[in-house]
Amino acid sequence: MFKNHLKLSFRSLVKNKLFTAIKLTGLTVGITACLLIGLYLHHELAYDAFHEKADRIVRVVMAYRTDGETQEVGVTGNKVVPSFRRDFPEVESGVRINLFTQVVKYGDKLFEEEAFYFADSTFFEIFSFPLLAGNPKTALHAPKQVVLTESMAKKYFGASDPMGKTLSVGASGDYVVTGVMADPPSNSQLKPGFIGSLVGLRDMTPERATWWNANYGAYLLLRAPGARETMQAKIPAYMKQFAGELNLSGDAALSYKLEPLRDVHLRSAVANKFEPNGDIRYLYILGAVGLFILLISGITYVNLSTAVGADRAREVGVQKVLGAGRMQLFWQHIGEAGILTGIALAFSYALTAPLLPLFGRLLDRPLEFATLFQPAAVLALLAFGAVTGLLAGAWPALVISQFQPVKVLKGQFKSSASGIWLRKSLIVLQFSISVLLIISTIVLQQQLHFIQHKKLGFDKEQVLTLATDQTIVDKLESIKSVLLQNNNIRSASLVYETPVHIEGGYGIDKSASGGNWSAVQALPADEDFIRTMNIKMVAGKELGRADVELVRRRQKGLDTLSAFPILINETQARLFNWTPEEAVGKLVNFQGPSEIKGVMQDFHFSSLHEPIGNLVVFPDTWGQTLLVKISGNDLPGTLQFIENKWTALAPHRPFSYHFLDEEYDKMYRTEIQTARLVSTFSGLAIFLACLGLFGLATYSIVQRTKEIGIRKVLGASVAGIVGLLSKDFVRLVAVALVLAAPVAWLLLNQWLADFSYRIELQWWVFAAAGLIAVGIAFLTVSVQSVRAALNNPVESLRSE
Amino acid sequence: MIKTVKLAKVYRTEEVETTALNEVDVDIKEGEFVSVMGPSGCGKSTLLNVLGMIDSPSSGDYFFNGEEVGRLSERKRSNVRKHNLGFVFQSFNLIDELTVYENIELPMLYTKVASAERKKRVEELLEGMNIMHRRNHFPQQLSGGQQQRVAVARAIVNRPKLILADEPTGNLDSANGDEVMKILSQLNSEGTTILMVTHSQYCAEFGNRIIRMLDGQVVTENLVKQYL
Repeated sequence: MFKNHLKLSFRSLVKNKLFTAIKLTGLTVGITACLLIGLYLHHELAYDAFHEKADRIVRVVMAYRTDGETQEVGVTGNKVVPSFRRDFPEVESGVRINLFTQVVKYGDKLFEEEAFYFADSTFFEIFSFPLLAGNPKTALHAPKQVVLTESMAKKYFGASDPMGKTLSVGASGDYVVTGVMADPPSNSQLKPGFIGSLVGLRDMTPERATWWNANYGAYLLLRAPGARETMQAKIPAYMKQFAGELNLSGDAALSYKLEPLRDVHLRSAVANKFEPNGDIRYLYILGAVGLFILLISGITYVNLSTAVGADRAREVGVQKVLGAGRMQLFWQHIGEAGILTGIALAFSYALTAPLLPLFGRLLDRPLEFATLFQPAAVLALLAFGAVTGLLAGAWPALVISQFQPVKVLKGQFKSSASGIWLRKSLIVLQFSISVLLIISTIVLQQQLHFIQHKKLGFDKEQVLTLATDQTIVDKLESIKSVLLQNNNIRSASLVYETPVHIEGGYGIDKSASGGNWSAVQALPADEDFIRTMNIKMVAGKELGRADVELVRRRQKGLDTLSAFPILINETQARLFNWTPEEAVGKLVNFQGPSEIKGVMQDFHFSSLHEPIGNLVVFPDTWGQTLLVKISGNDLPGTLQFIENKWTALAPHRPFSYHFLDEEYDKMYRTEIQTARLVSTFSGLAIFLACLGLFGLATYSIVQRTKEIGIRKVLGASVAGIVGLLSKDFVRLVAVALVLAAPVAWLLLNQWLADFSYRIELQWWVFAAAGLIAVGIAFLTVSVQSVRAALNNPVESLRSE
Repeated sequence: MIKTVKLAKVYRTEEVETTALNEVDVDIKEGEFVSVMGPSGCGKSTLLNVLGMIDSPSSGDYFFNGEEVGRLSERKRSNVRKHNLGFVFQSFNLIDELTVYENIELPMLYTKVASAERKKRVEELLEGMNIMHRRNHFPQQLSGGQQQRVAVARAIVNRPKLILADEPTGNLDSANGDEVMKILSQLNSEGTTILMVTHSQYCAEFGNRIIRMLDGQVVTENLVKQYL
């Protein structure tokens, strides 16, 4: 019996080649999209899960309150971990981790390494990064030891054994290799290339122990997973005992929050020192998009199967007359869906393999195809295929198995009104989803365009950023003057960090005497910063060479009297209730008595998710970044020139640069990726919806062949017939637009609300999405309707 | 074998009510070959469908082998049908996706006949109907006469007590029509009861009794000449 059903199903699939192809394409595309998205979701949801003690590891977040406002950062002072380990019985172990860009040298190999970590010796006790060589207990035990990853070992040492060899690490000196660890998985929030021992560094001396100077990522290993809540409850009281040492006044307070390790990547609002966090909401969006796509392909299946089912009515009727039960027929048709889903699943596997690297690039994640072959994944996919087959097959099977033989054998069978209504509703649903995705694509792209082209208040185009160190800072003047010999180089400036994202947190007080501090972001910069970034001054003057000199003298103890010259932005002036003009010349307290030398026009120095805050730019010489403004003419020549000069003047440091606008785009990585994905998938969605529409139009036109013939005989024009046949479908798409538009409006407004600087939703976007959908639907249907309209009526009438 | 008492079938649409069968009483004994005749729309096919249990009566009683079957559930009717009845249609109603062999085998799958027995019976019939050489062909590859022979083979493969034939020669030329009628006569002479709807007086006279219908009612019942 089963064999017979299988045979019948298979032959009828082969017989209806076009519809089978459409159904199979739909299911394959739908399942492939789900597989790709599923792999990505799996990758993200399994973030940091590979640590054996993951459920007991917490990240320490520093929360400090000044001026009634609490700020949380993912870094702490160096005192936190030792104090917590000592004073809280809940803590089994803890580790402090810092991250630097270091110039690493071995023999003639010299590279700038961006993932050079320094950590306590407990690192390997807490995290499960297996060591391929070396002892995890002692690898970071003593000063000047370093563990490197397998790929770094290959990069520097090739095939030879790195153990015991010495690497020269920037200004930090020589480090002996004491371990080689496996490369960290891509879904790890810590991705070290090197881990140097923290012990022995200057910052580890007892006199430098502090709750402040938050530079360290701090992780604790608790004795039990449940200990987090009990310990968390004790921290505020615990910190009160240090109020004197912390020198806090007013309502200012310092406390800490413990975040489960596995919540950091997707569920934390607090930035991670080691890599940008993801966002669980975007995973929800992506998951929903995947299910939408699958839904659309499922609908195509259902619509075509129930429509074409009418053609199989006779077969079902005969089977019933011969004694087939309804359930037997039901399972036969479910089986047919099962066969198609099975084939689609196999095709999807085959398609996923070449698509995965492309998809991974789109998401900036190395996704692994091998994941799909793990027994759990195979089982899950079979279950997924079975459920998809069941869901897509159940309705057609139910409809088909209910055919009454007496009617179908008499040839009285026609699709029932409710069946037609259902098919129309499903088309509306398909196109609603497509229209929703089209509108989302346009709006996402608009907002991204807005972000990328928003006037930030400074010029981020054609600016190179180069990492520097003390050796370079010492030679800064000569480097600058050599660079400026090239006409395509406009100016250069040394800053602590780039102006696209100023994070440095400081305190400022309106009165020079201090006592009423408020938080402010501040950027140490040299005298060329304002000019290099093309920032407008609204009052006063920019910093000059003399200001930087003054700082140098102060640092050497040669000048202790002069007020410290600083620049503030308009927002800071407003917060002090001064006009920019009034602000100039005022004495305030910023790291000591300071004089406001000028007021800068507000510029965006953090993500457009945030409103512009108050900012100070102050002269200093401990910059880490050299900004080089170029004209953009002869870019390769200019870059070559800089590289040549750099190599000559700073041979200890490899030439490695970024463009400032790329760095700016990095802040919106999640948004850019989401926009890319939504555009791709909305293209897919509309393709699938059209595939279904094409199939149904074909079917409906075949059914109306006689009507078309009669109309033509009676004098209908080709255009008239095309209009007649397309009208119904286009009307459905219009209904879809009406339904999708309010949903899109609500969802997108919610998404945009997350940005302090955003576009407004415009009516034309909705109109455009509607036109696109209606246009595509019309074209799809036209392919068939034009053909039908051009047919010789004699043919169609004879065929009846 | 078959007895109906005031059997009625009424079709209702939103505005129109059509009486297809109006209090029909028929009585068919085992071993009879009964032809039903009448103009189009007189209700003969409806009668065949109700008696064949693929349609249910609106009122009245239908006794099959002494048991009332008119009000049975679809499931039970299907059960009675597959073990007792065979159908032959004007338009053959073979399943296009199955071969000749598979079409004939199909009813036995629903009555769970063992595989070896199925093979034996199908081959006997293929031989008997002279279509052995066509066993692996699909219906579209056969002539009308061959298709109807396959349909008859399919109707009798489960050895039913009653064969219901709805204009079995309607789509055939006279030579092929004769062929099919001879097969039905042969089956009847071997003991199978046959109820056949036809427009053709010539075919009707292959049977031993003719029921004439008009407007949903039986107007006359006559024995065929040779049985008078």
